[in-house]
Amino acid sequence: MEPNPDPTIAAPDLSVQLGPLHLKNPVMTASGTFGYGEEYASLTDLGKLGALVVKGISLLPRAGNPPPRIVETPAGMINAIGLENVGVEVFLSVKLPYLCGLDVPVIANIFGNTIEEYAGLAERLDGAPGLTAMEINVSCPNVKEGGMVFGTDPAMTAKVVEAVRRKTSLPLITKLTPNVTSIAEIARAAEGAGSDILSCINTVAAMAVDVYSKRPRLANIFGGLSGPAIRPIALRCVYEVTRAVKCPVIGIGGIASAADALEFMLIGARAVQVGTANFVDPTITAEIIEGIRLFLEAEKIAALSDFIGTLDTSCLFPFAEDACGSIEI
Amino acid sequence: MEKVLETARIICRESLAPLIVRLRLHSPGISAAARAGQFVMLKVREGIDPLLRRPFSFHRIHPDKGEIEVLFRIAGRGTLALSKLGPGDPVSLIGPLGNGFELPLDRTTQIAFIAGGIGIAPLGELIAQALSGPGQTQKAHLFYGARSASELLPEDIVSQFGLRVHFATDDGSFGYKGRVTKLFEEFTARADEDFRPAEVYSCGPLAMQYHVAKWALENDALSQLSLESLMGCGIGACLGCALPAADCGPGDDQRFVHVCEDGPIFSAGSIKWNQILIQQSPPPTYLFS
Repeated sequence: MEPNPDPTIAAPDLSVQLGPLHLKNPVMTASGTFGYGEEYASLTDLGKLGALVVKGISLLPRAGNPPPRIVETPAGMINAIGLENVGVEVFLSVKLPYLCGLDVPVIANIFGNTIEEYAGLAERLDGAPGLTAMEINVSCPNVKEGGMVFGTDPAMTAKVVEAVRRKTSLPLITKLTPNVTSIAEIARAAEGAGSDILSCINTVAAMAVDVYSKRPRLANIFGGLSGPAIRPIALRCVYEVTRAVKCPVIGIGGIASAADALEFMLIGARAVQVGTANFVDPTITAEIIEGIRLFLEAEKIAALSDFIGTLDTSCLFPFAEDACGSIEI
Repeated sequence: MEKVLETARIICRESLAPLIVRLRLHSPGISAAARAGQFVMLKVREGIDPLLRRPFSFHRIHPDKGEIEVLFRIAGRGTLALSKLGPGDPVSLIGPLGNGFELPLDRTTQIAFIAGGIGIAPLGELIAQALSGPGQTQKAHLFYGARSASELLPEDIVSQFGLRVHFATDDGSFGYKGRVTKLFEEFTARADEDFRPAEVYSCGPLAMQYHVAKWALENDALSQLSLESLMGCGIGACLGCALPAADCGPGDDQRFVHVCEDGPIFSAGSIKWNQILIQQSPPPTYLFS
């Protein structure tokens, strides 16, 4: 018979500290993949989430792009929604009060066409009851102005972050795009401008076409690729960013299981966001949280923070110094 | 009734035409709440390829048995994978989703059902409900078309629907030669047939629905069109299934409705048809099998 587990051993500690932001577990929903929470309330327990990041908000409501807006691709999907959203006033009067009633930290994702709009949004949201943090979207590939235009230029990224920083004392996350030559450079700019936390990656610029109609699959022609297809790209980006900055990093990109989430935390991400996988399985975040707990128990790791960033890249060639190393195989 | 996530089991799988499959599923939670015209998001198999769930309308609902039926055409990798499942296999469903059809309160109203291709699927339950119950004195006709005879349900199955059926095929291989909406327009104009429907119910490709909408608006008929779209989530989170709304949003901007949440049933006048980019027919099966 298996010995009974020692009752004196406490359950593993899943809580994480991201600069000023403390979360009971590291699993959040990614912006744009979970609506404003209410859409999923009957399907999963929102109170289990580490945090809930809502659909990107702009100062005024946005209608979004014409359809078709999405297309499925191998192990992924491309979207060009165009940041359709209800605008900050409806968010504050309708969406946020609903979320306040739940026991989950709410993070607002903000988007502007100009630096002034970002600043205006931050000012309007600052101090809103029930709001835990803000995530600045400088990385949406699907809008003509703003978004990725800011996030592909270090100086512009810094200007947006500085402008928002001046308007709020809430923990500030900057969400980075992978569609740049050096994500590390953008990461350093955002951190230098006062971002407490970085999150990466947003979707990967992509397109799909139809050989029969000879037309693009998306009315916008280009869109952003998400889902498991982008996870290796995301992992590489998060690796680069965690080594470029001192501030905590949130890993995003194709996470669909606890093992996926742990990969990001192994390379140094302090937390993760789950995106497209929510569409497929509304209970996936709860499963990932449970899976991380089981992993820590099985590996006898007392706290998740003891696991984060423990990737071992030393001695990748263990035989190099060995006597056998000189043997040509 | 709230949507639920439920693992259904396939009870029965029947091939009704070369590419048309009917599945009967045991799904007690969903069947208890389902209404005609609503749909489920179905995961055709576990894993990440294909990644997304697919929307399927209720072809029939049997709440007394805890069962639902879905009818689909094998049109891509997802439906091909689904077609290979059989009795006992589990499939994950989210539903019931969307608004559903509303039958006219006045049961003496003349109504028309118009189906294009696999658009026959949601009309099965709707027709069954329209023709059952007290006072079902209305005159109802079904106009059912497809590109070719091989894409129609067999006549003996359609005749079981219990109403007068008019068939059409684009290539003339069965019934009227030409589009089904043309057959419908010609029939309703005939002097020897007293059929002037006050309400039309339709499901089919957007190219067909455009003609239904045009007829309904020109003839001042009520209309309930079951519209289709690719969907990411089916529950209003991804905003992928947008269609241009007829009315404008604040600031005269184009406003969009979402097929999953605001639909899938829309009236002809609620959509800005000239702003729709018509989706192409699915590719031949050799490209995805």
